[in-house]
Amino acid sequence: MVVFFALTFASTAGAEYRIYWWQQNMAPNAQGYDRQTAHNHIYNELYFGPNAGWTSEVWEVTPAGYRHFDKWCAGNCFYAHPGYYYTYSYCSNRDGSTHFVYECKDQW
Amino acid sequence: MLVAAAVAGLLTQLGLGGSDKVQIGNGSVSALAQAAQAADTLPQSVLDYPFAERNFASPNGGGSRLLQEQGSLRLYAVPGKGGMLCLIEVDSAANTAGGACADRSVLRTGSIYMADRQEDGSRLVVGLVGDGHTYAEADGRRATVENNAFVLNQVEGGDFTVGSPTASQHVDIEG
Repeated sequence: MVVFFALTFASTAGAEYRIYWWQQNMAPNAQGYDRQTAHNHIYNELYFGPNAGWTSEVWEVTPAGYRHFDKWCAGNCFYAHPGYYYTYSYCSNRDGSTHFVYECKDQW
Repeated sequence: MLVAAAVAGLLTQLGLGGSDKVQIGNGSVSALAQAAQAADTLPQSVLDYPFAERNFASPNGGGSRLLQEQGSLRLYAVPGKGGMLCLIEVDSAANTAGGACADRSVLRTGSIYMADRQEDGSRLVVGLVGDGHTYAEADGRRATVENNAFVLNQVEGGDFTVGSPTASQHVDIEG
């Protein structure tokens, strides 16, 4: 069952936000996280496939350590919210051992 | 051992491992069978997200229904791919949107839900339930199910209950 994580983000000037997620098939204290820095996410998505049913959580942590945009959900889910900085947007796609992928479109 | 664990996990994911759970209804959602109205159409911004293409049965969100509107919050149900059903939340004041799609079988033993942490630390819990469910309850406060949906504000605990006049189901928000 393919699991991947999609993020859309706009570049920021120096701020470092991090994205974390957890899903029910992970250990309680385990968490996936976004290793990129200096960007601001406006769209987070967790995708488990067509038979989704697991509980998941995705959240963001600001440079000051403030946890926000914290969503728990059942199955495949997304959370879109306003960005804080919009300078220019770019996107990259990659698949890693934790099975997540970035996607970005200029219009988002 | 690993194979057995993988199979058990897959069965759970498919919703086939919950036979010991209380069941309510058969997973049908009558709100989706109501005559379509203009307000049922999903905002284009939601349709533009890749989530829609990956999860909705129709890329344009065909078959969606507006379930509830509370202030600036609107809840929609959308037919999903491969037997999934989706719950979409759009808050026009906060300029946020969210969605959850899960196999329809989830509705027999619980809810397709989202729980968003609020500034005060509590959670806003919204859910889609199957026919037969009449209420959702958390922290001793009960919300009526209307159009197969419920909204629970300021939930302090990590769980909630959905139920009918004769049965109830416990849902652990944190799995």
